[in-house]
Amino acid sequence: MSSEGEKGSVVSSWSFREGVIFSILLVAAGFVVEAARGAQGVVLPPWPVNGIVLLVFSAYIVVVALVLRENSFFKWLGGIPLGLCLIIAIAVLSLFGGVLPQEEGAGPLWARTLRLNNVFSSWPFALTVFFFLFNLGLSLVWKTVPFRSSNLQFILFHAGFWIALACGLLGSADLQRVIIPLYEGRSTDRAYDAFSKAMIDLPFSIYLNDFRMEEYEPWLALYDPGKDQIEVDESGKRDGAAEGMMVSWQGVEVKVEKFFPFAVIDAGTGIPVPAEAGRGVPYAFLSGKNDGKPFSGWVSTGSPFEKPAFVEVGDRLLILVNGSPKKFRSEVTIRSGEDGDGLSEALEVNKPVSIKGWKLYQMGYDEKSGRWSDLSLVEGVRDPWLPAVYLGFFMILAGNTLFFWKGIRKK
Amino acid sequence: MTWVEFPYVAACAMVCWGAGSVLSVFSARKNVLDVTGRTFMIAGTAIMVFFLVVFWMELDRPPLRTLGETRLWYATLIPVVGFLVEYRWGIGWLKYYCVALASFFLVVNISFPDVYDKTLMPALQSGWFVPHVVVYLIGYVLLAASSAAAWHNLYRSMRSADNDGQALSHYLALLGFVFLTFGLVFGAFWAKEAWGHYWTWDPKETWALIAWLVYLGYMHANSANVDKNQLQWYLALAFLVLLVSWFGVNYLPSAQNSVHTYQTG
Repeated sequence: MSSEGEKGSVVSSWSFREGVIFSILLVAAGFVVEAARGAQGVVLPPWPVNGIVLLVFSAYIVVVALVLRENSFFKWLGGIPLGLCLIIAIAVLSLFGGVLPQEEGAGPLWARTLRLNNVFSSWPFALTVFFFLFNLGLSLVWKTVPFRSSNLQFILFHAGFWIALACGLLGSADLQRVIIPLYEGRSTDRAYDAFSKAMIDLPFSIYLNDFRMEEYEPWLALYDPGKDQIEVDESGKRDGAAEGMMVSWQGVEVKVEKFFPFAVIDAGTGIPVPAEAGRGVPYAFLSGKNDGKPFSGWVSTGSPFEKPAFVEVGDRLLILVNGSPKKFRSEVTIRSGEDGDGLSEALEVNKPVSIKGWKLYQMGYDEKSGRWSDLSLVEGVRDPWLPAVYLGFFMILAGNTLFFWKGIRKK
Repeated sequence: MTWVEFPYVAACAMVCWGAGSVLSVFSARKNVLDVTGRTFMIAGTAIMVFFLVVFWMELDRPPLRTLGETRLWYATLIPVVGFLVEYRWGIGWLKYYCVALASFFLVVNISFPDVYDKTLMPALQSGWFVPHVVVYLIGYVLLAASSAAAWHNLYRSMRSADNDGQALSHYLALLGFVFLTFGLVFGAFWAKEAWGHYWTWDPKETWALIAWLVYLGYMHANSANVDKNQLQWYLALAFLVLLVSWFGVNYLPSAQNSVHTYQTG
């Protein structure tokens, strides 16, 4: 299948060696540029320039591929040996990105000088991907013209990859990610950019009716203040507290006698009584033995407004730990210019809402206040290139399915 | 049945696989031993399947969140690949590597027990959770089998020139690559729904891409007629990259900001 039709191993062929040398020089050149320019990286132009670049680049590939089909240099430029070298080069560059922390100012000096702390927006990465797209584009045109149905799987996979990669990278210049802080009972049409922190105006306004959070059941833990650590109970379980439940640590046995998911202290008796979710916190009444000595008492998780209750067991403490978040949702009304009534929506993690080219995501809340938070952080994302990237993804999957099917049948 | 009973269940499965392997190796075409061996092998896997089903029901969520849970699936599925290869292509030796790998992962799970934790963070509460992780696990299982076959081929090529296992490691790698691709793209679709963008160069994503590129490289090396013996080395070692993207990422300096860590305790 080698385009050169050589016999034996391609590893010792000239086209492969040239590919290795070319890839190394390409990456080295990129590093030189980074070192010389103070590791500023590549800044991609936004719309419409990126669109024009994409158009010119793809038109150039098509013309060159068709006109210079028999030219030995271009045959090499669009051949498998160079493609393989560039794939490995991208993998090696990604390796730096996968090992070193990718953050502004992070990592040792040599890494920062070469922009290895932001490798995916660096010149070596950009140059390698550029030639990879060139290589991939040439081979794609050659396989597509003249069209044969037996090449369909190749075309779908390679074209899909080309489209997703090119549009994903060039389109990243038009990607907007903003944070919209919402307060209960208030409306806003402003957001700030997640990266630059600049304020922007949204083409709609959002009113937060209610922010609600559900937690998993709290769990009992034995806390050692001396070591500042929580001891795992003997069963290795972390079950939510429930009435009648038995938990044991070495030497300590505990039974949950009573459990109120939400309770407040009764002013008269000083004993917790069940209350509605909005006001109460979890309380549990425990009894047990520590090295044979009986003890009992109330434990609670506490809240931003109330101290937690705990039971002393020797020099350790039995505590009730808040369960992790189960669900959080923001009930919002979104109003955009013309329609006065607005759109009632519920934002949840994994359930974004689309409006006017933006997608809105439940992102966070005031973590100190937990379920008492009246602040909800919503993320707004605008990515006009998304349909193109998804088209690429679907083509990759279609090519893959075909490959799977054909592969099985061949066997 | 939970992590509390797990060591006993795992021990039973491993004893079955061990007995099955010994019987199969020494069966020398004696039908009785052969059938008993197969029964033991399948019984070992059946025990694991049973445990997974019961564990899933008790947990009230898919047991796919922690690394320990993914190892459980892996240990259950990889012998299945060995059995299927024998059934489909009549190649019997792969299953021994498969049960050895499965036992290794069970021992890891016994040595480093997970905290039994039913909670599932909101980001994981999605329809994409099961397809994304299961497709990936099948890919990993196939590629592990491909790597095992490649090691076997390398060992064999040192002793003699016959190479009947090369087609096996190749086809397993092709199948594995298909699943890897699906896993990667499903992950991108899910990331868009959960985190707002399909690709954020999170360390886990980066390593998944590296592993994918490494196998993409294999496909092209194969198309370019690279020497078959060199390709066996490639497949044998490529799996190490996959292991980093599965377990290793959490220990790398880049992982401090990863959104892909779902361990507790």
